[in-house]
Amino acid sequence: MPFIEINNVSFTYPDAAIPAIKNLSLQIEKGQFVVLFGSSGSGKSTLLRLLKKEIQPHGELSGEILVEGRPLKVKNEIGFVFQDPENQVVADDVLHEIVFGLENLGITPNEMRSRVAEMVHFFGAEPLLHRKTHELSGGKKQQINLASVLLMQPNILILDEPTAQLDPVSSRELLDILIRLNDEFGMTVILAEHRLEEVLPLADKIFMMEKGEISIEGDPRDVLKEIWNSPNHPFVPTIPSLFFSMNGQGIIPLTVKEGRKWVQSGIQLKKEHKKFVSIGVECLKAKDIYFRYEKKSDFILNELDFSLHKGEFYALLGGNGSGKSTFLKVLGGMLKPEKGKIDSKKKRQTIGYLPQNPKLFFIHDTVGKEIQDTIEKWGGEPAPILENLGISHLMNCHPYDLSGGELQKAAIACLLMRKPEILLLDEPTKGLDPISKRNLANILFQLNAEGVTILMSTHDIEFAALHASKCGMMFQGRITSEGQPENFFQGNFFYTTMIQRLFRGLDTVRETVESCEL
Amino acid sequence: MMFGEQSMPNQFERFHPLVTFSFYAGALSLLILMLHPVFLGTAIVVILAINYRQDHLSGVRRWLIFMMTTGLLIVIFNPLFNERGRHVLFEMGQRRFTLEAVTYGGMNALSIIGVLALFISYNEIMTPNKLLFLFSKFMPQFAILLMLTLRFIPLMKRRLAEISVIQMSKGISVTHGKWKGRVKAAMQYIQILLTYSLEEAIQTADSMKARGYGSGIRTSYEYFRFKKMDGLALFYLVMLFLLILNGRFSGYGFLNVYPIMESCQLTKMDTFTLTLFLFFLSFPLLTEIGGVFRCRLSK
Repeated sequence: MPFIEINNVSFTYPDAAIPAIKNLSLQIEKGQFVVLFGSSGSGKSTLLRLLKKEIQPHGELSGEILVEGRPLKVKNEIGFVFQDPENQVVADDVLHEIVFGLENLGITPNEMRSRVAEMVHFFGAEPLLHRKTHELSGGKKQQINLASVLLMQPNILILDEPTAQLDPVSSRELLDILIRLNDEFGMTVILAEHRLEEVLPLADKIFMMEKGEISIEGDPRDVLKEIWNSPNHPFVPTIPSLFFSMNGQGIIPLTVKEGRKWVQSGIQLKKEHKKFVSIGVECLKAKDIYFRYEKKSDFILNELDFSLHKGEFYALLGGNGSGKSTFLKVLGGMLKPEKGKIDSKKKRQTIGYLPQNPKLFFIHDTVGKEIQDTIEKWGGEPAPILENLGISHLMNCHPYDLSGGELQKAAIACLLMRKPEILLLDEPTKGLDPISKRNLANILFQLNAEGVTILMSTHDIEFAALHASKCGMMFQGRITSEGQPENFFQGNFFYTTMIQRLFRGLDTVRETVESCEL
Repeated sequence: MMFGEQSMPNQFERFHPLVTFSFYAGALSLLILMLHPVFLGTAIVVILAINYRQDHLSGVRRWLIFMMTTGLLIVIFNPLFNERGRHVLFEMGQRRFTLEAVTYGGMNALSIIGVLALFISYNEIMTPNKLLFLFSKFMPQFAILLMLTLRFIPLMKRRLAEISVIQMSKGISVTHGKWKGRVKAAMQYIQILLTYSLEEAIQTADSMKARGYGSGIRTSYEYFRFKKMDGLALFYLVMLFLLILNGRFSGYGFLNVYPIMESCQLTKMDTFTLTLFLFFLSFPLLTEIGGVFRCRLSK
């Protein structure tokens, strides 16, 4: 008997024309590590929420959901971790936060103390206990959220895109914890995730969702080929993609290790033309910038020099807290540096800034009003831009009802009305599924071709390697290295693409596949 | 001890929150009840000493102007509105200024200054955690509310800062331009702040529900243990407080102004009550001395 069984479940939100989940059936065995993926709006979150009684959305539900052969009840056998690390936090203090669930269950203080001691030890979180929650990084916050859920001793752990808001190092840390929980304690883990790169080798079973249905399911190696041949092929990670595009034979490589084995078995790669970038005149220059948020605190930007040339597509990489966001705000003239000068040949109007959280960009309650407001302020003709971005139909929507990708496009549309010459984008790839990411890349490419200079900060190394004309690394408040992606990634060990890792030290085939179309 | 302060906590801070809270509650009521210049004067000295031990008076210095003006205003305004009393100091037009009114105002001013100084020390010692702990015992729902508020106020502040930076990049600013435009912009800021916060709070509510909030009777994690020392301290405070109250309601430690003003001279019983009163107020200092002694002895 399967551990979790979903039989012919359909679910329709109130006032929705079409069901969010359509006649869906699936089975999960005890102790499995299951990955659920699909583009945003495919019904992943809805499905996961249906599994937990306490947070089931309102609407019309039919079919049956069984856990161990019994229907769901309100009991805390299922732990749920959400996407946004910040919004799940209830208390201002880490210790209060992790015991929140236990207190709700009415556990005795003695039992609580022993559970907390154990869990804190497991997470190695002793130094964090007395910290304020808002001082923690997103990754640490997400770990605290997980710890709080685990203290309630669930049998099943459900995570809804827990790493979408995290940088690569933090997401790896979180995934490592999940692997341990699954391996060492046999906990059943159900994970919704966009970035399959890291989770595919771990998964026992993967489900691809499309329009409220499960379109493909099975062991990762068995079904990857099927996904590769479907319109959802951007979901396939780099290494298997390379394998498929080369018509590779044998076992599909999922990890770098397996990939290197396959590469060494002798494959021929075709030479590709490198992107040629004509570099224009310098259009934005920062010289000797110092910045900090408060007097007496440490400098966020420290003796930073930077120059951006016309027509460039610059990707700024670097860990959390290295100062990328702050630097973009300083460049955009929103924050004043304590020392140093921003040299811009252009007026402020020509610099467009897209914040990391585009929700805060919108001041009006519909997209249309926001666009209208922009026209009043800056002039411009909206129709072609909206047409081009494919968001003309969203004019009457509230910004918060849009998906992440749509919201971003709407904000970009507002920026483009001003006819900017420079676009500053703060982590535009954050939380986007591979298909939206590809759309974004196309938009940025087109703009770049029309002569807009682009500077974006990102954690997405593959994206930077594939699309940027120049990459820079930010470390401790300054840019420590920069170069064209081909050269930039070759020297790095961690901050490098999968392909680079695959070919490291294998001289014969190096340098050939950086721009391989995946 | 689960919640150590960053610096080495002194003896008084290490007590169970119930003891600390009782001290402040007791001291507050005594400052209001014992309206006698000598009592209040010495009390202020003791409270300042407590503040000095805590943060070298940096808190008091910050509030000094406020404390002084409040005190001064009471001393000035009381005689202005209150003409009762037999000893007329001087007359101005139709108004009599009496010694009684000035004395009464002066004592109230001292009492207020004492209370403010006490609150400065209270703020330093009774961290939100301790308060939360106390409340979660008696009023669990209120404790949750307090906890959420504690997180939300700084959160909203950070969000507002973020909004203003982003909107500035769009040319909407509250610091530049015409006054009317600025007010409009500020209203819009608040509007996004509220919409956004409500939207995000839905997720917080989900996360609370997913962790079983509202599913039954809540218990609370014991951050602080009630030790034997805490029991002794509580006993000490309660006993003194009751004795002083007894004295106060037998008419000691209180300067009668109306109908007939007493002399400030202390009777024997007054002195006795004053001693008890000082023993109560200097509890934080005494524990300090006790701590030092124990340190010496153990060495």
